[in-house]
Amino acid sequence: MTATPLLELKQLGVRYGNIWAVRQLNLSIASGECVALLGSNGAGKSSTLRAISRLLPAAEGQILWANKCLSSFRTESTVRLGISHCPEGRRVLAKQTVLANLELGAWLRRNKKAIKIDLDYCYQLFPRLAERRLQLAGSLSGGEQQMLAIARALMAKPNLLLLDEPSLGLAPLLVDELMQCLAKLNKDGLTMLLVEQNVYAALAIAQRGYVLEAGELVLEGTAQELRKNSNLRRSYLGDE
Amino acid sequence: MDGLLQLLINGISIGATYALFALGYTLVFSVLGVINFAHGAVFTCGAYFTYLLLGGAVGSNGMLAGMHFPLALPLLVALPLAGIGAAAMGLLVEAVAFKPLRRRGAEPLLYLITSLGAGVILVNLIQLLMGAEAYALPGNLLGRWPAVLALGHGVQIRTVQLLLLIVAGIAMLILSLWLNRSSYGKALQAVAEDGTTARLLGINSGAIIQLAFAIASFLAGISGGLVALSVNIGGPYFGIGYGLKGLGVLVLGGLGSAPGAVLGGLIIGIAEALVPAKLSAYKDAVAFAFLFLMLILRPQGLLGKPPMEKV
Repeated sequence: MTATPLLELKQLGVRYGNIWAVRQLNLSIASGECVALLGSNGAGKSSTLRAISRLLPAAEGQILWANKCLSSFRTESTVRLGISHCPEGRRVLAKQTVLANLELGAWLRRNKKAIKIDLDYCYQLFPRLAERRLQLAGSLSGGEQQMLAIARALMAKPNLLLLDEPSLGLAPLLVDELMQCLAKLNKDGLTMLLVEQNVYAALAIAQRGYVLEAGELVLEGTAQELRKNSNLRRSYLGDE
Repeated sequence: MDGLLQLLINGISIGATYALFALGYTLVFSVLGVINFAHGAVFTCGAYFTYLLLGGAVGSNGMLAGMHFPLALPLLVALPLAGIGAAAMGLLVEAVAFKPLRRRGAEPLLYLITSLGAGVILVNLIQLLMGAEAYALPGNLLGRWPAVLALGHGVQIRTVQLLLLIVAGIAMLILSLWLNRSSYGKALQAVAEDGTTARLLGINSGAIIQLAFAIASFLAGISGGLVALSVNIGGPYFGIGYGLKGLGVLVLGGLGSAPGAVLGGLIIGIAEALVPAKLSAYKDAVAFAFLFLMLILRPQGLLGKPPMEKV
């Protein structure tokens, strides 16, 4: 890659007290890419995302956004930069309507017309949300809540979408549907960092991937290379 | 029957004050998950601000003895200004007693102690500046309005009570519309429901918390002024009793439930009014009897929901 990456992690370390969740992680994402961050439970994937959106401090190393260091930014300001983090477990605002959730996704934006266009785009992407726009988000099914969480993250009109386990807890059919949506978003130009335990689904849409194990990078490469990698196949794809 | 109606009117108008008070607790509780024990002191500040803005002079015991505000403002100007003054006090309390702890991610129990401390300091400051004496608000505030309105059948309502009801009603209406319709109201609810998610949406939760303090303290300030109008200011500890009762209302209605705060306020106000005159010394016990009963029968309060989460 010759151009400046949109996001670059240099020797990133994240820890909870004395326990290191992530160590010496180098990762970069170019504009327009979909990059998968893979690994089993507790490998440090979510902690990496939480460090990027500044929910957790980086204990060591750097997070660079278009060559600018994010260490002095607050979470709210990373949203302003264009980083939208769709958190693990959906975390929709259960007591508010679908519409209110989406409107809050556009909290920092002031251009009403542009917001309306994006709202229509989200409803087109997830027609189920349009049907239920005045229902409380807490009354939606798990799959619908996941759609809402993604749509809400899109309402910030991000330059980079951080997705934390979007397929978690969804029926296989829904996972396919969701991944197709994500592939379409990426094709339309959205840069994504996709955290997944569902390696197969993630590598179907990502161009490149990184594999974490116990907080350390063990493998990286193009999606094609990773799909062929025998270690990865043994560990995650169930091959012998 | 008419006697009962009269008691109901009295009960509702005092209950409306309790409701305003509890709404303030509720707002802060919903965004922070802690109770602001300085709220009663802010209420007291509102009462003193109202007194001063109406042109009242400081008595002989305080450091400000003999001084007075250069203008005697009309009531309907003084009251909102006192509310704004109280809101400033509330923001001060937030900056001193809450923000440093929040930054550090401190235990909720610590907020209890720091806010109680801030409240004690405020009350003592009032005593230092204004003395410990009682203050009576000027009697001619209502101008040409009669002091008492007859509603027929021997039932009557004091103009002050009516004013209290109207202001409380309007404040609650605006607050509920604001919370449910405006974007800032929705953002406040988002912070209340899930602070981390709110931050991920770009909502500055610190600013929203300050907003909650400002609104809660504004409400406390105007209710302080209105109560002072109705019963006069008994001294710097004026707000403590109301503050404790507001806590009872809060628990009765359900922690964090705004409609619950209003309902709880009205129930306790009416219940107090129904206490026979002979036993009026035990009026305060009624509020807390309700509180205990509620904790036994329905710990989440009247309109509070037991914790429930969809997996």
